[in-house]
Amino acid sequence: MKQPEIADPKPPTYKNRPRVGVFVCHCGINIAGVVKIPELMERVTKWGDVAVVKDYKYTCSDPGQQMIRDAIKADRLDRIVVACCSPTLHETTFRNACAEAGLNPYLCEIANIREQCSWVTEDRDKATDKATEIVRTVLAKACADQPLESITVPINKRALVIGAGIAGIQSALDIANAGYEVVLVEKEPSIGGHMAQLSETFPTLDCSQCILTPRTVETGRHPKIKLLTYSEVESVSGYVGNFKVKIRQKARYVDFDACTGCGLCMEKCPGRAESSFERGMAKRKAIYRLLPQAVPNRPVIDAQSCMYLLKGKCGVCAKICPTQAIRYDDKDKFVEEEVGAIVMSTGYELFDAAGLGAYGVGTVPDVIDGLAFERLLSASGPTSGEVKRPSDGKTPKKVVFVQCAGSRDSTQGMPYCSKICCMYTAKQAILYRHRVHDGEATVCYIDVRTPGKGFEEFYRRATDDGIQYLRGKVSKIFRQGDKVVVWASDTLAGRKVELEADLVVLATAVVANPDGVALARKLKTQLDTHGFMTEAHPKLRPVETLTAGFFLAGCGQGPKDIPETVAQASAAAAKVLAMFGSTKLTHSPTVAVVDEDICVGCGNCERTCAYDAVKVDEQRGIAVVNAALCEGCGACAMSCPSGAMNHKNFTKKAIFDMADQF
Amino acid sequence: MKYVYYPGCTLYTKARNLDACARKAAARVGFELTEMPSWNCCGAIYNTTTDDLAAQVGSVRNLAKASQLGEKLVTLCAACHNVLKRVDDRLHAQGNEVERDRLIAFVDEKFEHRVQVMHYLEVLKNDIGFDKVKEKVTKPLAGLKVASYYGCLMVRPREVLQFDDPENPQVMDDLMAALGAVPTPFDFKAECCGGYLVVNRRDVARTASKRILDNARARGAEAIVTTCPLCQYNVDKLRPGGDGAMPVFYFTQLLGLAVGLPVEELGFEYNAFDPKPFLAQKGLA
Repeated sequence: MKQPEIADPKPPTYKNRPRVGVFVCHCGINIAGVVKIPELMERVTKWGDVAVVKDYKYTCSDPGQQMIRDAIKADRLDRIVVACCSPTLHETTFRNACAEAGLNPYLCEIANIREQCSWVTEDRDKATDKATEIVRTVLAKACADQPLESITVPINKRALVIGAGIAGIQSALDIANAGYEVVLVEKEPSIGGHMAQLSETFPTLDCSQCILTPRTVETGRHPKIKLLTYSEVESVSGYVGNFKVKIRQKARYVDFDACTGCGLCMEKCPGRAESSFERGMAKRKAIYRLLPQAVPNRPVIDAQSCMYLLKGKCGVCAKICPTQAIRYDDKDKFVEEEVGAIVMSTGYELFDAAGLGAYGVGTVPDVIDGLAFERLLSASGPTSGEVKRPSDGKTPKKVVFVQCAGSRDSTQGMPYCSKICCMYTAKQAILYRHRVHDGEATVCYIDVRTPGKGFEEFYRRATDDGIQYLRGKVSKIFRQGDKVVVWASDTLAGRKVELEADLVVLATAVVANPDGVALARKLKTQLDTHGFMTEAHPKLRPVETLTAGFFLAGCGQGPKDIPETVAQASAAAAKVLAMFGSTKLTHSPTVAVVDEDICVGCGNCERTCAYDAVKVDEQRGIAVVNAALCEGCGACAMSCPSGAMNHKNFTKKAIFDMADQF
Repeated sequence: MKYVYYPGCTLYTKARNLDACARKAAARVGFELTEMPSWNCCGAIYNTTTDDLAAQVGSVRNLAKASQLGEKLVTLCAACHNVLKRVDDRLHAQGNEVERDRLIAFVDEKFEHRVQVMHYLEVLKNDIGFDKVKEKVTKPLAGLKVASYYGCLMVRPREVLQFDDPENPQVMDDLMAALGAVPTPFDFKAECCGGYLVVNRRDVARTASKRILDNARARGAEAIVTTCPLCQYNVDKLRPGGDGAMPVFYFTQLLGLAVGLPVEELGFEYNAFDPKPFLAQKGLA
């Protein structure tokens, strides 16, 4: 019986019948190994409007593209259909090839016969039939296509960087040093992020402060960088190249310009609060800065612990300030910035180990996390770099490091590997043994992962230094007298182990900074299931997002160490600079278009649009599309009750033509 | 509210003090327990590694029978609860239809519907609410520092029991707070008491139980409260603490005391370490 779907399509209704060239790609054996190419071509040849059918082993290669260019000229083709892989891979390739041969690129269509056809079956006959169907429907669309011109929009060559940890600092400096202005927003009173909390860095053991401070100082003094600390991004509107950003500057209660950073106020302030910078192991004043090397070196007043702001009593800082910089009546301020590109470098936080009930977090004071131990090791920390445990200030003689606390744990923590903990635990154990010569360090691990330059050698150094590594997961941590007992196992020796320690350090999982997650949700940048921001392509577009104009840097995208963070931040900056290198941005012209004669201005489209691209003009009573904002999703065309809204080259006619062929 | 009640064998023998006031306390708090007629062994005494089937069949019959009597089946013994809950889970697990049919074929009783297996604590927490329980308290256990010991059976396996955090459960602590006591957190809430090893390795059970008792005392607890007869036996009757022993209550005893049941109805005579002098000292008995 004759297959009904192989019947010839209806004759088109155009006055001048199009001349279509169909090019079938073998994709090596990806397509040709399943779809019967000669049979497919034989069927296609029979259809009207098809002037030429050709095949090639790799059409995306240079000779393959040349074949298309030659055919356009030789056979006077005015439509091209390439039957190959997904349009996300090579639509641009083939459209460019058409443009080079003088054909409008929007008259070139891709018929994807690989991903959902040859890749999903081994049945050669069915695959060939399906490929035939796909090519025929796409042919109908190609015949309905109209030539389009790309939309160009100007670029505002200023960048916004959100988050001023080492990632944001690096991106901002790279962009600023190339001569473009940068707005750098940081929610804390000073910049540096978590790197400012670290003591020394692996695997070279250079002091974190020493390598970070030159960068923070350069950032603070850079003429091209507008630093907005103690500020948060409220909203972003606009589109790539032309964003409008609303930023909230939190009330500092200190006049930024009048203050000289002398520090007298902080000496005399009687208010106290727990210092989050010191991971709760020390108190800070109500008027405070995060660290003595803070950039900018201006304190802020914490309204929650300031006695004057809470009760109207005290006022010592205002009395003592030599420059009268205290402003108790300060309010949150909003500023608006216009930028062309945005780098999201919102960073990480450590997993709240209170969720790990068996690890005694919050109930045993001498169970602390990795960042807290960094503060104990740091010369600028609460113990001035002497290792003293929080409960009684004694020097711990036995320290147990617990790796994978909340990492690689799909029941109670995060299923992924946090990547940096093996190395920083080895570093912390080494540093501890430097500080406390007769101290014993034990590391409980599942696997030790050291993929990085000099990492394995560093881990060897730790084991050679007498640090004991026990392979096995820790099941329980609890207090006994003034000791902390750790129940672990040694799976290499096949025995249960009970360790008595003075201090336990948990290498808790790295999670996306919750404030960054909330911001990303608000700005509609894509997040994965764990709250890490998603890159546009995991291999080939690692610092871009699917939202044009948004770029990624640092741990907000996934756990990573300092060198990797800096490399990614520079890559994000390079992408921003590549964008700033051209004078105008081109935008796909396949956008929504209104038939002004039909539109009644009901506003359905305006309510449907996720990109704020459609607005009803009140005076004219019709909808107007901002083509630069339109992403071409087609939702407005679907919602339009009168049929006035259409989508260029996805007109209702084109879609019905395609459906008719199916 | 009415519930079908499955006491289990131990509550008629060694753990009479767990059952004694549970029904009367329920009436005071506002629900009614109707004991299932002709219930049989839950199957906990069978070793599942040697006879997995026998360990389940008993509970299948109990569940089928309960389904003819009501919607919710309430248990008190941690072992019964664990076995009933796990059998119920296996009966209704997707992809387990062959085993289910085989098991159901063993018993004469017909399944009317799936019953909800609930522990008495879950009734108090979810159906009544601890705030309502608190309203019924007539004799608050003021100043009683009590460590809640859950053992292994109440909380594990987590996916099936769905009772509480298996590493740091809170339900009983919350109940104690509602009764006016001071819940004292300690580190061995869900560790092993030694279980049935008390039969052939008494020393092992004693060591395990002593560890629990010692840790509770080190955290400042004056008494332990539990829901498992085996835990109670090992921590109380084995006397692992020697001279440093402390009262080991069933939670129903403290509930009964707080809602005003007479002391003589609370079954204190079955506790190995007599709690009455302790309670008298606290002004509670």
